[in-house]
Amino acid sequence: MDFILAGFVEAIRLLFGGDGQTWSAVAATLKASSGSMAASLIMGIPLGFALGYLDFPAKRQVRLLVDTALALPTVFIGLVVYAFISNRGPLGEMGLLFTLTGIAIGQTILALPVVIALSATAVESMDRHLRTLLISLGASRRQLLFSSLWEVRYGLLAAGLTAYGRVMTEVGISMMVGGNIKWHTRTITTAIALETGKGMFSTGIALGLVLIAIAFVVNVCLSFLRKR
Amino acid sequence: MTVAQPIYRIENLAHRYNGDPVVAVDRLDIEPASIMGLVGPNGSGKSTLLKLMAFIFRPTQGRILFDGKAALPFDESVRFQVTLLTQDPYLMKRTVFKNVAYGLRVRGGQEDWARPVHDALAMVGLDTDIFARRQYDELSGGEAQRVALAARLVLKPRVLLLDEPTASVDAASSELIRAASLRARSEWGTTLVIASHDREWLYDVCDEVIHLFKGTPTGTGRSNMVFGPWVPEENGLYTKPLGDGIRLTVSAPPHADATAFIDPAAIRILDSGAASTAENIAFVDGTVTRIASEKQSGHLFADVRAGSLRLVVRVDESRLAAMTLHRGWPVTLAYRPDSIRWL
Repeated sequence: MDFILAGFVEAIRLLFGGDGQTWSAVAATLKASSGSMAASLIMGIPLGFALGYLDFPAKRQVRLLVDTALALPTVFIGLVVYAFISNRGPLGEMGLLFTLTGIAIGQTILALPVVIALSATAVESMDRHLRTLLISLGASRRQLLFSSLWEVRYGLLAAGLTAYGRVMTEVGISMMVGGNIKWHTRTITTAIALETGKGMFSTGIALGLVLIAIAFVVNVCLSFLRKR
Repeated sequence: MTVAQPIYRIENLAHRYNGDPVVAVDRLDIEPASIMGLVGPNGSGKSTLLKLMAFIFRPTQGRILFDGKAALPFDESVRFQVTLLTQDPYLMKRTVFKNVAYGLRVRGGQEDWARPVHDALAMVGLDTDIFARRQYDELSGGEAQRVALAARLVLKPRVLLLDEPTASVDAASSELIRAASLRARSEWGTTLVIASHDREWLYDVCDEVIHLFKGTPTGTGRSNMVFGPWVPEENGLYTKPLGDGIRLTVSAPPHADATAFIDPAAIRILDSGAASTAENIAFVDGTVTRIASEKQSGHLFADVRAGSLRLVVRVDESRLAAMTLHRGWPVTLAYRPDSIRWL
């Protein structure tokens, strides 16, 4: 038990003492996850809105595909992205392997189905009276779209939050596509896996605390937004 | 002399849901600043007709002319002219102020909405200081419906369509909603189209009341609509039991569940017990519950309760002096079963 307690004490020292390696992993995680979240929200919310709002042929089949993609294993995404961006792959020339951009691409593939599926569910649960209300108050098509999105904002926030949770905690993509390179592509989760393997519990615990702290801050911000 | 152009002209309008016809109106004109009532049983197409008139969606067939021009959803010619209040109190997930100001915001322009929002809330009996900052879910059903009406009134619309606006609110809210709607007509010349089950109110305030049945206008003014099933009798006639041993006798219906229309002018009021054995005349006993004059025609009408049924009867004014007619008075109604129209 002592080594766990000692790990916590050391973790506090590493965090507040400004340990370079620890903060490098934190920065890499934030950079990759910010990129992937931005991309998945920009693509996922309009697609989710379309999937939930519009009626089109093969809608059920598309929904089935998206729901299946919710369960994509991160190592499989890592494998596919690796295959595409490695030197032998079709996108090999872009030099994305072992970069944060490569990790962000993989995480976008991970987060996109979550954003689409949960946005579509939020839009589907939209009250059927909303459209009538907005049009009868004079909304244009564009105002109808944005006001409808604003009405389901809590559902969209939940979609973003769930996707963020998956992106922040995944190991497979970061490890396979990023390569866990110190000072460069080592993220919080790959560092924890590595440090634990080396028996360095304190660094692992420190990074774990940062992960929980980030989740806490994000949730505090969202609960503040909800109150507005 | 110029004749005022109708604000609405409906031509060959038909709307279907999944192939089933819901609304079929060949021709209907509505004059500006008039009040039109729509009555009809549930599922008669009132709500769909109002939504089509509010340009919420396109009709399957036909067209609706507004100010003489055919219009469709989102057209600039109708977007800021017509507004619809639905039966269920429904608000956006925002404060009362933002709900009421929404229509002003989409119209752009002025930024100071406090005054118009205050006036609109006052029209429906809500104090701005108390309600403006409340969230949509901090209101009772009646308050929510009044806020929803205020969100329409703040626009000073040319046409206000009301779909059973008082069906799910308390009596006090109901009175405020009715008064505010009528004020819109008197202050701004707003044309009102009101669908309601409260026929008395409609007959009192409307310039015209239209009966809608299976999506089609079946007549105007006061009418008695009696639903089946009908029970065959030995003499070739049919009856509907009304409770208390009272029966309504009718001619042979086209089918057992047909709907009978009985013209209020085709019913005569006799003193109680004055039924005779005259041929081709049917009698039914009842009690007078209300006497009112119709705004549109000026005719005098009596409501008579016969068992579970309420019948409207046009009172022959030439015979009024010879009759004792007041609330609670027992009477016998006489009518010819062959004068009944069937749908």
